[in-house]
This record gives sequence, C-alpha cells and structure tokens, in this order.
Amino acid sequence: MERDFSYTLLSHTADLGMIVKGDSCEGLFRNAGMALTDIMILSKGPMPGVKKEISIKGNDLPDLMVKWLSEILYLFEGEHLITTEIVVNQLSRSSISSTLITGDFDSRYHEVLREIKAVTYHQVDVREDSGIWTARIIFDL
Amino acid sequence: MRIKLEKIDDNRWIIPKTGSMRVPGMIFSSQELIDEVLDGESITQVANVSTLPGIVGYSIAMPDIHWGYGFPIGGVAAFRMEDGIVSPGGVGYDINCGCRLMTTGLMADDIKPMIRDIVLALYRDIPLGVGKGGEIRLSKKEGEMVATLGASWATKQGYGNKDDLIRTEERGVMSGADPDLLSERAVKRGVDQLGTLGSGNHFLEIQVVDEIYDSKTADLFNLHKGGVTLFLHTGSRGFGHQICDDFLKRMSENPQITGLPDRQLACAPIESDAGKRYLAAMACAANYAWANRQVLMHLAHESMMKALGTTPVVLRMSLLYDVSHNIVKMEQHNVDNRKALLCVHRKGATRAFPPGHETLLDIFRETGQPVLIPGDMGTCSYVLAGDYGSMDKSFGSSCHGAGRTLSRSIAIKKAQGRSIQKELEEKGIFVQAGGRHTLKEEMPEAYKDVSKVVDAVHNAGLARKIARLRPLGVIKG
Repeated sequence: MERDFSYTLLSHTADLGMIVKGDSCEGLFRNAGMALTDIMILSKGPMPGVKKEISIKGNDLPDLMVKWLSEILYLFEGEHLITTEIVVNQLSRSSISSTLITGDFDSRYHEVLREIKAVTYHQVDVREDSGIWTARIIFDL
Repeated sequence: MRIKLEKIDDNRWIIPKTGSMRVPGMIFSSQELIDEVLDGESITQVANVSTLPGIVGYSIAMPDIHWGYGFPIGGVAAFRMEDGIVSPGGVGYDINCGCRLMTTGLMADDIKPMIRDIVLALYRDIPLGVGKGGEIRLSKKEGEMVATLGASWATKQGYGNKDDLIRTEERGVMSGADPDLLSERAVKRGVDQLGTLGSGNHFLEIQVVDEIYDSKTADLFNLHKGGVTLFLHTGSRGFGHQICDDFLKRMSENPQITGLPDRQLACAPIESDAGKRYLAAMACAANYAWANRQVLMHLAHESMMKALGTTPVVLRMSLLYDVSHNIVKMEQHNVDNRKALLCVHRKGATRAFPPGHETLLDIFRETGQPVLIPGDMGTCSYVLAGDYGSMDKSFGSSCHGAGRTLSRSIAIKKAQGRSIQKELEEKGIFVQAGGRHTLKEEMPEAYKDVSKVVDAVHNAGLARKIARLRPLGVIKG
C-alpha cells in the first residue's frame, strides 16, 4: 500500500527522533502513530486487520502525544500487535479516541527495524503554524 | 547558552554554582574530550541536576558524557537520605543496563580459523528480542520470582552456577523489590524478553586480550595476553523500560518537586511513598537484568561448546565480573569527614570501588572492583579496576563506555554505499547483526575513541587500566 504520511528522522546524538506533520491536529496524531510503526517495522506482506479502540487522556497536547505513541509502542512490545491504520475519532487538547487496525506480528512477514525503548518527553513539541500541525518527538533506543 | 567552565587540572572542570544550582558541577575529562562537549546540551544537563533537592558535593559527569533525558548520560549524583530525591530519569529507561565479562581457557590464535563458525553459532543461539524471542516464557509467578531473586533465579534454573553470583554486583540481587507495584504492562513486556540481547548498542563480543597494563591485577583477573574473553552488554529489556516509563509519568503527573528545569527530571523525595515505590519497582528491573545477563552467559557457554565441539573443562569459561551502569544504590560515602548513607544515581556510569573497600569481596579486596568499559565494535574495550581517587572524587564511580559522537541518522548517511560488515572483516572482526540499520548506526565512527575516555578516568585516579580487549567477533541485535 502506498504511504500517505511522511516524517523526517531527527538527529539526536544518543537516540532517534522524528518530525511529523499533518494538515489537522487529528491528521498529525494519525501520521505520528503511522510513522512510529514505520520506524520500528518493515512489513513484507498482507496481514489480517483487527480493530482496536484506544482512548487516552493527557494534560496537554505534548503530553497526549507522548502517551498516544507510548500506547502504540506498548501494543507492539507487550501485545505483539502492529498498527497498520489509524482513524482518529475524537481529539481535544486533553484526550484522544481512535480506532486502530492492528495485526499480529509474524516474523515471516515482518522485520523489526529498530527496537524503541520508550517515547520521551525530551524536547517534545506539538504546534500549529498557518494550518500545518507539526510534532517533534524523541525516542529512547 | 554556553556555560562557562573552570579548569581545575588536566582532568577536571568545574561548572561554578550559579542561579538555582545547589552545588557546582564537576566534569572529569581531558582537554580534547571536553572541547567536543562544550557547545552541547549535556553540560546544561549537569547544571540542571545540581538544582535537585538534597544533592551532595557535585553534580558529576564522566568523560563519556553525552546528551540524555533530564540527567546526562555519564552522570553521577548523590543525594542525602533525609531531604534528597530519587529520579527515574537519573537511572534511565534501561534499568541496570550493564556489562559482564567472561574469561576462557582459549587462546585467540587457536580459534581464529573458526571465528566465523563461532559467531554464526552465537548469532543462532542468542535470542535478539521481539520477533526473535527466546525459549523462556515467564508465568506471572515466575516473573515475580525473577523480579525478587535476580540472577539467583537463573542459577536455580540451571543457567550457570551459583559461584557466578559472588562475581556480580550486589551478588545479582537487589533487596526491597516488590512486584506488586508493577503495572500489568511491565509484567507483560517481561514475559518473553528474559534471555534476549536487545538491539542498539547491546552486543555480545568474542575478544582477545591484546594489551596488559597491570600484570599483577590482570593475573588475578585471569586475563592473559592472547587469551579469549566474551563481553556481554545488555539490560532489563522491555520490562525495565516500561517500569521507568510508568514511574516517570506518575511522578510528572503528581509532582512532589516542582519548578524543575526539565520535565524528564521528574523525581520524588527518597523517603516519600512515591520515592519508595519507585525504588522497589526499580529493584525488580535490576533483578530482571541480572537474571537476563546470567541466562545469556549460559546460552553463550552452551553455544561456544557446540561450535568448538569441546567440553567445559577445555572452554573454562568463567565470569570475571558483572557491573551495572544504570542504577540507583544506597551507599556509604564520606561527607564532610563523616560517613553518610547516600542515594547514588549512576546513569551511564560504573561503580569503581577501590582496593580495600569494605563492601568488596575478598577476591577483589586487593585489586579494587573490576570496571568493564565497552568500546565500539571496531576498536577495543577495556578492563579497569577501581582506584583510590574514586571515593573522594566521584562517589566511587567511573565512566561506562565510549559515548556516541554521531547521531544515528548521521551515521546512516555516512555509511551510505559502504559495507560496514566488510570493512570490519578486513580488520579481522566478523560481525552478525539482526536489524538492517544496526551496523550503520553502530559503526565505529559513531563513537568517541574509548581509549581517550579510559585514559581520562585513569589519569583522574578514578579507575586504573588493567587490560585492553580487541574484538574478533560481534553479535548485535
């Protein structure tokens, strides 16, 4: 499937970060989640999709972004589920509810590109400028 | 803003106490290494740590300092029990990440023709992690046992033997661990990651002892020129990462210490409920990491025997020591000429207790504690021993590695069009890596020169050089 999101890897001496954009705040959160999966996993084949409803609360948008990505990271690390599509159903400055399409990790079809330990608060930033939403997130590798 | 440093001597620089700093900063380095970090944020992080309540002496950084989260990597900070804090960010996500060095009865010249076969065997037999998991699946009960018993859980299951425990910091178990405090997520991430290496800078190396600096101590450490060693670097895997993440979030959501210069410095008073809970959860992860390294050592032993078609008597693999470089410990130190119990944070720093230290086992009482310093996969690693200066200067601490100098994305760009594996093979180092980006991200140029880092701690009197180890074969996640 052709990718409909893009991100830039960010230089950080110890670890790895990303700059991701969206044309709405909902789009930004969706693209950030997709980008995280893309950084971690190379998918080489079709996978069955299972819907998963995810709702998260945060103190503000940066906090919400860290918690949101931590959730997607946990789904992979703890449940071995790969997130392949995201629909953001509702988003405010302090909460997000979403539907994720996920599939079981299968080493025949999936390659782990990088192991991410955690999503950090270090220099986390979520902002809007002239209708374009941008987030900067740094991962601990 | 560039912070002005004051040079004390050729190995020490001070960050003068200004503004909200409670103590000055102290950076152990050399002129060459300090120039590399002057403009970076890591110096600011040393100053930030000095603002935390109850800090004693100095906020300290080692020569391998680099930018971390909240605390710099290569940082050491000690806090008074009565009014000090404990911070998950002062330990890091990989709780009890550490190193373990095994000596063998093999000589490098004898195994060089088989090095490819040995590396391929180890690569086959050492599970790398998620997607390349190991045999162990922990039930809830077993997970609790690992979290409370540490390395001794592994020896009881037949991974290595109980003699290994005395050669492990804390004998491979930290007391006070309470698995009831762990989130379901932490437990789940721990189920199938015990006995796995992990990726990034974690590795297992076959090495040759190629230089001896202190022959008497090297003999006592069973290190002989031309001899083969195995060096393991890994930690508490997803289990520890989740525990750090859980407690950082809890402490930042319910802050007991406010006005912090960085969100990742979230902390709680040591004696508070939140502080005690973190310490009890951290101990679970520390124990998991010691069990992990114990299991991996055993797997490496079995794999080497198979690859060489030999017996334990010929292989004679035995543990020299296991050190932790991401941990908090309660230790006695001299403060104003009086003994005091302090909460010592080491994040990317290794304990380096000197000869004669009362907590050292008899086998290391004369030599000082072995200090294991991994370098990059193309150069060398070092064995040091704690030196007399460490107690007064750095709360008994030393450096932990080379420290990165290039980001991963820049390393990938620099490696474009090159075969790092081939380049290393031309140097006589056979490498196998799991992740397709690993070799590029971890290429030798991405790291500082570990020899310069080690010289800086040697010259500062924190730990003295005993032997240098050169890689022959490397397994990376």
